[in-house]
Amino acid sequence: MKIFYSLIILSLCYVIIFSQAVFAGTVEEEFKIEGLISPASPKALQSALLKKLAVKIIELRLKKTKTGWPVLRLQFDTETISREKIEKVIGEIEDPAGHKYKVHHGPLLANAPLLDEEQQAIAILGDTPEAFPIMKNPITDKAASANRGEKLFVNNCVKCHGFTGNGYGTVAHGFTTWPRQLWAWNNTGEETDGYLFWFITNGRSDMPPWGLILSENERWDLINYIKTLKNPGDE
Amino acid sequence: MAKTIRDPRIRISRRIKKDKVFKVKVKFDHPSFTGLGIVDAETKPVFSRAIPVSFIRNMFVYYGDQLVSRFRMSSAIADDPLFTFKLKAIQEAPIKVVFVDNQGKKWEASKKIKYKN
Repeated sequence: MKIFYSLIILSLCYVIIFSQAVFAGTVEEEFKIEGLISPASPKALQSALLKKLAVKIIELRLKKTKTGWPVLRLQFDTETISREKIEKVIGEIEDPAGHKYKVHHGPLLANAPLLDEEQQAIAILGDTPEAFPIMKNPITDKAASANRGEKLFVNNCVKCHGFTGNGYGTVAHGFTTWPRQLWAWNNTGEETDGYLFWFITNGRSDMPPWGLILSENERWDLINYIKTLKNPGDE
Repeated sequence: MAKTIRDPRIRISRRIKKDKVFKVKVKFDHPSFTGLGIVDAETKPVFSRAIPVSFIRNMFVYYGDQLVSRFRMSSAIADDPLFTFKLKAIQEAPIKVVFVDNQGKKWEASKKIKYKN
């Protein structure tokens, strides 16, 4: 009985070894590719690879891969070429813009764990800045409100933002950054009202917190006027 | 865009007076990549991961021993950014800035504050 079992095991081993010897020649392997940065990159990689190596390109998948990296699937003969050799050749190929390709190894480290110093700072200052509240513009008569806002704009905002809202007001010279072009808010939806109200109320950089100077209704009037400003170049 | 990362530098005025506000400029040569590229032009243009993502994620400002500010950034930060901010000169102590990038690497720079008589 012992001899019978040993014969079966031996024959199984023989089958496994024999099948490996038959199929060892040709394998299919995947390579995660770094450096595909332009639409011309995939074609350039594939044509250069075919010129330099005796491999068959099965697929170059750019989207919906497991790791997010583009995956190149190659079929090659392990007796004539090794994986290391293919990786080396891929690393030597340049795309039309002069960037080199590379085979990616290891996991993607998009964001390393926080350092002790960062954790301490977050504990002191908090993790996220104060978020602006979602607010609804309470004023229904937008035209009358914009008229009132225009007067407020001329008295308070023009010296920095300019009459047209172009950001080149007379006293804006020498600021850290030029004030923003206010016509960017033209035709924007109601969802921007809360942000504008928060921005005007609290100020930023060289802009003072207008919440200390103007009443709530006056700030809404200003927002209604700002949203009517148009780029003079578009008219 | 700098190809290599260079240590941060701080510039401040030489005419700082006690209890007055002064401007601090910090320059840091550090490349910034979202890591994405448009690769599929044949069908619908899509972004795919092209190179490892790299950006400065935090800048801390210390005045003396005290942490006074934290700048939190994303991959939208510019290459080689220049930061400008203001501080009130309350003591003759060094200003230190610490940068940390998304790979967890750290850079520091410091400069002493001295009052002008």
